[in-house]
Amino acid sequence: MIQFESAEVTYPGGVHALQGVDLTIDDGELIVVVGLSGAGKSTLIRAINGLVPLTGGQVTVGERTLPGLGRRELRELRAEVGMIFQAFNLVHRTTVLSNVLMGRLHHVPSWRSLSGLYSPEDREIAMQALELVEVVEKAYVRAGNLSGGQQQRVGIARALAQQPRVLLADEPVASLDPPTSHVVMRYLQQINRELGITTLINLHFLDLARTYADRVIGLREGRLVYDGPAADADEAVFEEIYGRSLTADDVLEAQGGL
Amino acid sequence: MTETRSRPARSRLAEQVRPERPFARFRWTVTLVLTALLVWSSATVDASWGRLTEAPGRAVGFAQTLVANASLEPLGVALEAMWESIAIAWIATLIGAVCSFPLVFLAAGNLTRGRVKQPVRQLLNVFRAVPEIVLAIALIPFLGLGPVTGAVAMGISSIGTLGKLSAEIVESIDRGPLEAVEASGGGRLTRLRWAVLPQAMPEIAAFWLYRFEINIRVSAVLGVIGIGGIGGFIAQAVERNVFERIGLGLVVVILATMLVDAISSRLRRRLIEGPSPAAQARRERASVAGAEHEEDPE
Amino acid sequence: MSAPTGERPRRPSPVASARPQRRPRKPPPQPFTLLGLVGLAAFTLVTAWDWVLGIGFNPIALPGELADSNPAMVEGLFNITDADWRADYAELLRTHFTDPDSPWLLSLDSRIGSGLVETVQIAVLATLVGAAVSLPLAVLNSRLGAPNRTTHAVIKTLNNINRAIPDVIWAALFVVLVSVGALPGILALTMFTIGVVVKLTSDVVDGVDLGPVEAARAAGASHAAAMRTALVPQILPSFASFSLYAFELNLRGAAVLGFVGAGGIGQAMNYYWSQLDFEAVSVIIFVYLVLVVIVEQVSISVRRRLV
Repeated sequence: MIQFESAEVTYPGGVHALQGVDLTIDDGELIVVVGLSGAGKSTLIRAINGLVPLTGGQVTVGERTLPGLGRRELRELRAEVGMIFQAFNLVHRTTVLSNVLMGRLHHVPSWRSLSGLYSPEDREIAMQALELVEVVEKAYVRAGNLSGGQQQRVGIARALAQQPRVLLADEPVASLDPPTSHVVMRYLQQINRELGITTLINLHFLDLARTYADRVIGLREGRLVYDGPAADADEAVFEEIYGRSLTADDVLEAQGGL
Repeated sequence: MTETRSRPARSRLAEQVRPERPFARFRWTVTLVLTALLVWSSATVDASWGRLTEAPGRAVGFAQTLVANASLEPLGVALEAMWESIAIAWIATLIGAVCSFPLVFLAAGNLTRGRVKQPVRQLLNVFRAVPEIVLAIALIPFLGLGPVTGAVAMGISSIGTLGKLSAEIVESIDRGPLEAVEASGGGRLTRLRWAVLPQAMPEIAAFWLYRFEINIRVSAVLGVIGIGGIGGFIAQAVERNVFERIGLGLVVVILATMLVDAISSRLRRRLIEGPSPAAQARRERASVAGAEHEEDPE
Repeated sequence: MSAPTGERPRRPSPVASARPQRRPRKPPPQPFTLLGLVGLAAFTLVTAWDWVLGIGFNPIALPGELADSNPAMVEGLFNITDADWRADYAELLRTHFTDPDSPWLLSLDSRIGSGLVETVQIAVLATLVGAAVSLPLAVLNSRLGAPNRTTHAVIKTLNNINRAIPDVIWAALFVVLVSVGALPGILALTMFTIGVVVKLTSDVVDGVDLGPVEAARAAGASHAAAMRTALVPQILPSFASFSLYAFELNLRGAAVLGFVGAGGIGQAMNYYWSQLDFEAVSVIIFVYLVLVVIVEQVSISVRRRLV
């Protein structure tokens, strides 16, 4: 269970990215967070794994509560929370397998990670993660040589290799074309269903949100403005969240020309 | 944990084939070659590795003698020698800058044809390839053994490096202004003055300064063959085992070099980035305020 | 810009509606430019003048000085037009360096041959050891790689001090500590390699893709593990290239070391120089130059492929 209690994040520049957010997420939910860019979506999910420190309130993830974790506890928390990024964040020059093995870093003694000699067990976990997103045949290919969709699947595999309880995805399809976006979203949905991993996905496109989410959370200027089942999130709700009428940019299917 | 979690997915994915781990040929070749080089060198080189263990003890002795005999009496001589090194480096940089400058425009591919460019590049390469110490020795019969010899030898080397790097800067300039000057009927020299120099000059000048920083180190090096400067001062002190002079010389070299580096790198940043926004705004205000009194602009 | 400026009739603006505009006065030259030029000129005069503070560099008299040479030394170092001299030179090269009985055609037992081999060994060892130490130091020397600000500042200062000491001075210092031979040469060039490679590589660290580092941190990796897996692969090609570059510099630098007793070809050069055997010196220079040029060409072509 993840619980936000009047969570606040104010950046050094004075920007209030998160203001008084109260939110409870049950295990196994698939939640899509929507909002304009700058509404605090990235901050919300980065507050869960401590990549962005809270300036007020608290966030409880399982039995750990932020802020107030020591360096070691914070790393333990992060190891249980997998993360997927908009820009994939792969090391282009190394193999796909090495990238996925980064997901094992917390569980591996330092002599192994520093020398790059991972144990057969860790390699097995990484291979299984690659099989889940069906890119295992690329295991020894340089990550930079893959297409965008394949790179994002490797990104998902890296998160899965952590054997996480929670999966955070920060605009996972913003750099992909519409068909590939659906492929990636389906993988995330399957992982949520089959492995029961609590999943939070930041999205901009309302049709994607409605298709894949169980529950939609709307953010506007750092405040929680909508929280309800995906089925109820119609266009009126989105206009309310965005604070303006919808445009073609807000719908993935309208991006076909890419 | 994984077992139970991934079971439902297993059946779906059964037909995927895991690839064989490929043989990392490049990595193994590099490792083997480097290991062979390391083993060959360390096994055959005439180095008494055992002395490494004595070094800490000797260092302590060195430090003790140094502290016991510490005196600022040779400071004047050391500073004078350091100044000489700096002077040699400066003259060498000037020789390099002045002589390479005209060559740069002959060696830049976007300003001249290959027929001109290639031989000039080759000449610059020759200057660059010959180590300074070889040039210095070759010059001794003509100029004797002294600071001027060092300055000229390092100057020749600097022509090579500065010429090559500056030509690369000129080659990377924006073509637009070049075409604009050409379109307005500008000749070769006009093009250089109005299209090439404004774009390339700050970076070229920054490279001159950078070469000056390097030349200070080189002049200290050449000092040991007798061209003078701080290198000679320290080498002599080592020869005669005058520890306090070695220590003093080191301190002078380190401080002076770091000081020059700091000044030079600030100047370089100023050259490349231009004046600070505040200073720029001040100047603009001043020039607009004065406009009422001035008849002819430009 | 190239328009004639002789007469300048004030033509009315073609746009009738153009409001009268104020033309700014030409700003005075930047104080930076003025001060800089004056300062540089003064510095040049002081350093060049044959006076207390100058070295006596006179560009006008230089050609004359060049013409007024020491004939014996010129003869010894490069009288290549003289047929007898060439024959002598070939003989020297043979006795000092080549050996028809050796399969390599080179005699590595001669003073020159062994000096040359030692120079290569010194450069190889110094580059390998120095580069190996440099990789972690380069990571620590960057803002991203340092675990905290103190480490960053300490490493940076130490390396700046290291870089301010020229390789020969290091060699002289190590001669004091471990006495003469190849060892002080290896140690000196190792310090030099560290200076060069750490500086250049850590500049590359500031330009890497931060995404993978964030990913490693998000996976709960320790700082060291994150740097090793997300950062090092990105800087490895540049690091290898800079190490090769350091090898070129080391080979050039190794020639001077012999003058302070730190081994290598410079020792032979110093020896013949003190014997006033200028022809032997020129043989050394010739052979050494060939080596430097070959290694540099190979290294440059490898480096071009690396990055």
